[in-house]
Amino acid sequence: MALDRDPRLGMQRDAPPALERDAELMLRVREGDETSFALLLERHRQPVVHFLYRMVLNQAVSEELAQEVFLRVYRSRATYEPTAKFTTWLFRIATHLALNWIRDGKKEKGQESLNEELLEGVERQVADSTPSIEQELVYQVKLREVRRAVEALPAKQRAAVLMHKYQGLGYSEIARVLRCSESAVKSVLFRAYETLRSRLAHMA
Amino acid sequence: MECLHNHKQGAEILTEHLAGTLDREREAELERHTRDCPDCRRLLEVWDRLDEFPAPALSEDFDQRLYARIANETRMPWWRRVWLPTATIWRPLWRPVVPVAAACAVLVLALLVRNPIAPDSVNQLRIEQGGSSEVEQVVQALDDLELLSPVGSEQSGAI
Repeated sequence: MALDRDPRLGMQRDAPPALERDAELMLRVREGDETSFALLLERHRQPVVHFLYRMVLNQAVSEELAQEVFLRVYRSRATYEPTAKFTTWLFRIATHLALNWIRDGKKEKGQESLNEELLEGVERQVADSTPSIEQELVYQVKLREVRRAVEALPAKQRAAVLMHKYQGLGYSEIARVLRCSESAVKSVLFRAYETLRSRLAHMA
Repeated sequence: MECLHNHKQGAEILTEHLAGTLDREREAELERHTRDCPDCRRLLEVWDRLDEFPAPALSEDFDQRLYARIANETRMPWWRRVWLPTATIWRPLWRPVVPVAAACAVLVLALLVRNPIAPDSVNQLRIEQGGSSEVEQVVQALDDLELLSPVGSEQSGAI
């Protein structure tokens, strides 16, 4: 499966260059360059939506929250200062919105069945490339199990795992997003992976 | 090597292993350990297991919807454009203020119900403050009337 970003690269990209490409683009947006905003959107909309989807497990909500993320970025263009990595800022907004959404319990009862349907849609898309019906069924069961195991993690642990595994954010970057120390991030990740190990043990 | 979940530096070893920054000696030690320890082996395998959690494709009109919202905001009057981000930032801070204010109001109401100001004490207070001066005024008025009455009227009345 193609990941949203190469995690190994992300982990070694903790030290930002003098002025990263995204920050340069954002500074141009501040000067009124709309094309730079389009470029930023092009680069980051998919990782943001995918992160939010794995957080809230609802496609419509994840897109709605992602729109709010980019809207906030656009609104803040006039006061933007490249004090941190652009992705740190972006995922801080996304995480904040997702955690608020989860905390406010906006998950309605009817959404569960919708999510299942969407999940089946995703499974079918992925499973189309598998050679046999039996393998397809096994794969679908695996997808469901992994999704449920991730879903059952506490929201902050889930956010940390998603940023680590799928967005390829480094430990210091995750720490800045979650506003905690790097060692706390490592400990949160370890606890989360331990929980996932016990929940997915039967799949080995 | 001890099992990672019992190891003091378990979190550090796992995260460094996943980041590819674990030193050679420890990496070899971990590899030897996981050969005989199914729990630790499965812990390292979780990373690969998570590949089996795809996300759906993005809606085709995502950008279109976003630009429509941006255009909508740009058309707003200037004061709403200023207010909107401010309100969004401050909303989390305002959220706890509402229940606190409600709790204070209930507390004040409860105190008033428990210790109401007695009407008698109000009247008493009113008499103490202004009552004496009213009596004095009446006495003064009667004295004035007495002074204004024609001299000798008492005598004529007596007749």
